[in-house]
Amino acid sequence: MLEVDGVSKRYGTVRALQDMTFAVRPGELFGFVGANGAGKTTTMRIVLGVLTADAGEVRLDGRPVDAARRRRIGYMPEERGLYPRMAVGEQLRYLAELHGLSAADARASAARWTERLGVATRVGDEVQKLSLGNQQRVQLAAALVHEPDVLVLDEPFSGLDPVAVDVMSAVLRERCDAGAPVVFSSHQLELVERLCDRVGIVRDGTMVVQGRVDELRAGNGGVVVHAPDAPAGWADTVPGVTASRAEHDRTVVTLAPGADDQALLHAALATGPVHEFTRTRPSLAELFREAMDHGEHAEGSAA
Amino acid sequence: MRTILLITRREFLSRVRGRAFVVSTAVILLVLVGYSLFVSSIAGGDSGTSTVAVAAETEAIAPALRTAADDQARIVRVLPVPDAAAGQALVASGEADAALSGPPTRPRVDVERSLGSGTGSIVSVATSLVAQQQLLPDPAAADAAVAAAEPVVVAARPEDPASGLRIGLGAFGAFLLFFSIQTYGAMVAQGVVEEKSSRVVELVLATVAPWQLLLGKVLGLGAVGLTQLVILGGVGLAVAGSAGLLVAGAGLTGTLVSVLTWYLIGFALYATIYAALGSLVSRQEDTQSVLTPVSIVVLIGFVAGFNLVLSAPTSTALAVLSLVPPWTPLILPARIALGDVPVWQVVLAYALTLAFTAGVLWLAGRIYARSVLRTGARVSWRDALTGR
Repeated sequence: MLEVDGVSKRYGTVRALQDMTFAVRPGELFGFVGANGAGKTTTMRIVLGVLTADAGEVRLDGRPVDAARRRRIGYMPEERGLYPRMAVGEQLRYLAELHGLSAADARASAARWTERLGVATRVGDEVQKLSLGNQQRVQLAAALVHEPDVLVLDEPFSGLDPVAVDVMSAVLRERCDAGAPVVFSSHQLELVERLCDRVGIVRDGTMVVQGRVDELRAGNGGVVVHAPDAPAGWADTVPGVTASRAEHDRTVVTLAPGADDQALLHAALATGPVHEFTRTRPSLAELFREAMDHGEHAEGSAA
Repeated sequence: MRTILLITRREFLSRVRGRAFVVSTAVILLVLVGYSLFVSSIAGGDSGTSTVAVAAETEAIAPALRTAADDQARIVRVLPVPDAAAGQALVASGEADAALSGPPTRPRVDVERSLGSGTGSIVSVATSLVAQQQLLPDPAAADAAVAAAEPVVVAARPEDPASGLRIGLGAFGAFLLFFSIQTYGAMVAQGVVEEKSSRVVELVLATVAPWQLLLGKVLGLGAVGLTQLVILGGVGLAVAGSAGLLVAGAGLTGTLVSVLTWYLIGFALYATIYAALGSLVSRQEDTQSVLTPVSIVVLIGFVAGFNLVLSAPTSTALAVLSLVPPWTPLILPARIALGDVPVWQVVLAYALTLAFTAGVLWLAGRIYARSVLRTGARVSWRDALTGR
């Protein structure tokens, strides 16, 4: 289990992280989303010890992360980078050995991952001679080559073609099923929604929303009603309705959490025929936007 | 420990396998051979004018000296002096290259260290000429007299037969140290900037501590420089040996040990400085501008030291320069090769340089650790020294 507990970080006068707290359980795929500059990369760098936190602690299996435990983490930095003039295979073996593998294990592992990620024919080539897409695959191999127990990947899907996205997704799922906690950040929210067990939404250096994807989507439900004869504003007086708006000939109603949707259905039927009555689940993108909006309101009222 | 060795091995192999290493080794060999040919050609042709003091009793040789000089297309200035002592005084003061006294057919030649080849041949030819002229009527006697006529050279301070070799070793050592420190120190900086500009440093630093990466780099490139030093030194000595230039008792072993020791200290010092400077910038194009001030310090030390070793090896200026910490590794080995460096100076040099190097390692390590992950604009000195 990877725990980030109350981590804060300042760069001069800029507050990068404020009491960042979340945990990723073994066998769980955790999606880390947030606007640019929200603090995702800073958090990951602190987990890897590349940056030091001003306050708070990162724990792995209940104990603070030290240099030895850190070697068991597979990391893909946001700023991609490999030695440009070093051959692919040699580079992967070197990184595996730096993480503590024996020379023989490093060789076997480098061969296995280059095969798996489809760059086996390029092991003798310098990294700088590879296409960007292939460099990304090598970068992923570099994160996986020491058979890590934990994966921390910063934007692993950016710059990948659809085939590579599938390979990457499969690899993440597989590591996860093998019992590794996996955390990755992404702006591709549909992908996060599809792939992750849990997500965390970061805003201004703080985790504002986190939970299982299906639970988050189940709460704050809406209902789409198609009642052609209903007058404008028909739903506003129904108990439990917090908002409603017309969208073409349908009415989109937001219900308070736990409100009874049957009252709304009765009210709709009272206006005439009802052709459609659908509970909708918000997409992650909507949840994300909502979380961002709340932030702005909060800032506005504070000011 | 294994981590540092892995980093060292990578740095070493990636450089030694490169073509640059082979090419640069070959080029330096050429430069060294060319330079020594150049120096020996200058030394062979001394100025062309000889000044000879001639005592009253030897005066008869003066016309013969001029004839001999004319034959050899050289100029001789004859200074008449009353006696041998006056001639020796002129030699001691440097006004005369040699002082002749005694019988003209078998003159005593007083010199400071040795009789130069140009002056020497004029004097010996002139001696033969005088013998021939004096005994002209009797050819048989003349032949015998000519055969017996030869100058007797007496040096006031006989030359050490190994001194040429000592100066050569000193200059050779100083050049190799300068070259290795400059080349491989700059390569450390390039390596640091390459890791920064390719961003691979973040991946590596997620596994190892900054000091381990820095140490591994310095050791790796230091080993490359050492390999080249051993190749060049070995070839240089082999060439000198086959040319019969190696004379026993020239302090060869001591010189080799001091060149290697000071290479290690000097490289550690400058490579760490260069690494810290490299960590301030993120682009290869900016590397040169941060390295230049230190390169100039190295260059000044080398040029001043190298010239003093050749022209004034016993001067106070050289002694002082060789005790200034940043220059000690460049100059002291050459002085040790020349011989007669007082023990206290060697001890002082070690103490000063080691203390200075320790301070530099500490400071440069801090700067490196703080700057190496900061990409983008050049890191300011203030941030590098005080940032978190």
